[in-house]
Amino acid sequence: MIYTIPKILENAVLEHPDKVALRYMSQSISYKEFYEKSECLAITLLQLNVKKGDRIGIYMNRCMESFIAVYGITMAGAVFVPLDPTAPNERTQFLIDDCKIEHLVTVPAQSRAIVKIAAVSEGLQTIIGLDKDLDVNTVSWSNVYKSDRNSVEFPRVLGKDLAYIMYTSGSTGLPKGIMHTHNSCLAYAKGSKTLYDVAALDVIASHAPLHFDISTFAYFTAPLAASTIVVLSDAHTKMPVSLAQLIEQEKISIWYSAPQALIQLFLNGLIEEKDFSSLRWVLFGGEVFPNKYIKQLLALWPQAKFSNVYGPAEVNQCTYFNIDNTYEINEDLPLGTVWENTDYRILDTNDKQVEKGTSGVLAIRSETMMLGYYNNKPLTDKSFYHESILSGYDHVFFKTGDVVKENEIGQLLFIGRNDRQVKIRGYRVELDEIEAILLQHIDVREAVAYVEKNNNESRDSVTAVVLLKNETSEIDIKELKIHCSQNLPKYAVPEEIYIMNEFPRTTSDKIDRNKIQIKISENHNG
Amino acid sequence: MDNTIINYIKNQLIVSDEAIDLDAEDDLLGSGLLDSLSMMKLVGFIEQEFKLKIPAQDMVIENFMTVACITNYLKSKSD
Repeated sequence: MIYTIPKILENAVLEHPDKVALRYMSQSISYKEFYEKSECLAITLLQLNVKKGDRIGIYMNRCMESFIAVYGITMAGAVFVPLDPTAPNERTQFLIDDCKIEHLVTVPAQSRAIVKIAAVSEGLQTIIGLDKDLDVNTVSWSNVYKSDRNSVEFPRVLGKDLAYIMYTSGSTGLPKGIMHTHNSCLAYAKGSKTLYDVAALDVIASHAPLHFDISTFAYFTAPLAASTIVVLSDAHTKMPVSLAQLIEQEKISIWYSAPQALIQLFLNGLIEEKDFSSLRWVLFGGEVFPNKYIKQLLALWPQAKFSNVYGPAEVNQCTYFNIDNTYEINEDLPLGTVWENTDYRILDTNDKQVEKGTSGVLAIRSETMMLGYYNNKPLTDKSFYHESILSGYDHVFFKTGDVVKENEIGQLLFIGRNDRQVKIRGYRVELDEIEAILLQHIDVREAVAYVEKNNNESRDSVTAVVLLKNETSEIDIKELKIHCSQNLPKYAVPEEIYIMNEFPRTTSDKIDRNKIQIKISENHNG
Repeated sequence: MDNTIINYIKNQLIVSDEAIDLDAEDDLLGSGLLDSLSMMKLVGFIEQEFKLKIPAQDMVIENFMTVACITNYLKSKSD
């Protein structure tokens, strides 16, 4: 029975020991090697006295070792925490302190950043995956792979155990950690394997980095089906022509990314000249996919089915809408219908169910749902909606914050957000967080952040406008950008920052964000 | 040529208060130094600065991995 993350790999080894599990650039390893390497990492961790529930950071660019880390850490009964290597060090340090990471797994390519992080993170005891000596203990990958299986006792890992904490943007200015168990992870992996009929013959591209929640498809669903996973390099994700060559060469059969990556591939990848006939599923999620591009991609890849995947990281996936090139697109694609083993409610602002056809916040109840936010019971409680069924037995739903409406044929349509969360290249960004960071700057009195739409390339970015404490203070925009880039992930750093002498106000003296946006676009874009 | 590109990357594409030591052999694509958006800006800058057009099929990892790769590629184009 497969009920934990390590069991996924055990099962793949039993059924397909010699099949290629992972391919990255010119390297590849079989499921048997994948398992053995993961086990070696687990032994290394257990020798370091790692106990069940301990948090282990994974600080890596896209690479094979990130897969080994996920399985090795969970085999040891520990909890993995993906750390974004492109995030500013201050943010990484915050996450390390926030969930008390003592051991971190990395790769030599990250050594420059790791040296800096290790120097300031007092709680860090061990860095695994570096060849050089630091003030903290380091263990190289070659030493990890020399581990002796008989030297330790493995813990009993249960489905109910915590498996990972994935951090996402928080509106207070501090990231929040989403806690998932082996059960919620497996429920997603099994559900998506069934829905997309994933099999051992499939070749799956791993495009999303581990800290982006849609990565769970490549990290868990693909090994559950014992498929071959092609781990795309960071370089490939930046060079669409190289990426297109790789998809053709590797005969990728399932693709999953945010729409932005597909649009870049379409616009700059010269894909008309490529043979993509192996592609049978194109999954996309994280944000709305502009219709004009889907239409062209459907025409270009007539053999492929496309799936609009929806679900916040708190519930993994919860709805889908599948189409092929016989589908006529006239308006935005619906989020579709909830998948198996999932129920939903659409609620008004008083948590009362709305009448069918009226818009409200979508709440989801499913096995794929998170346990809660790490170390934040008030926020967890606030995000759950309870229906009392019997005394002592509630149905608990997660309130997504996404406003939806159900149409006549039972499909859910995305209307917007009930807060100020936006999506940039598929990543969740809280505009409140950006404003909170700007306000931390000594010269800033007030700040407004909004999304600037770029319809041509559909490359949205954040714009910020600030009001200074002292109009005459000499501050340059670059200094504000540096301040943001030290505290926010790259995709959330404002592309443009403007300074205004005063903010337009509403009659109730609130900042009039709409007017500010209009003023800026008149002055700078026209 | 190397220096023009290095300076552009240092001054325009990387927002940081630390002095970045970037040399022609540093990995631009794999290190997280530049994201896909910065890559597009870099290509735009090169086209403008050196008055040439980089055809889409040349925008591959081999030509853009490092500043040295970029200058080699640009030289091969002008030959």
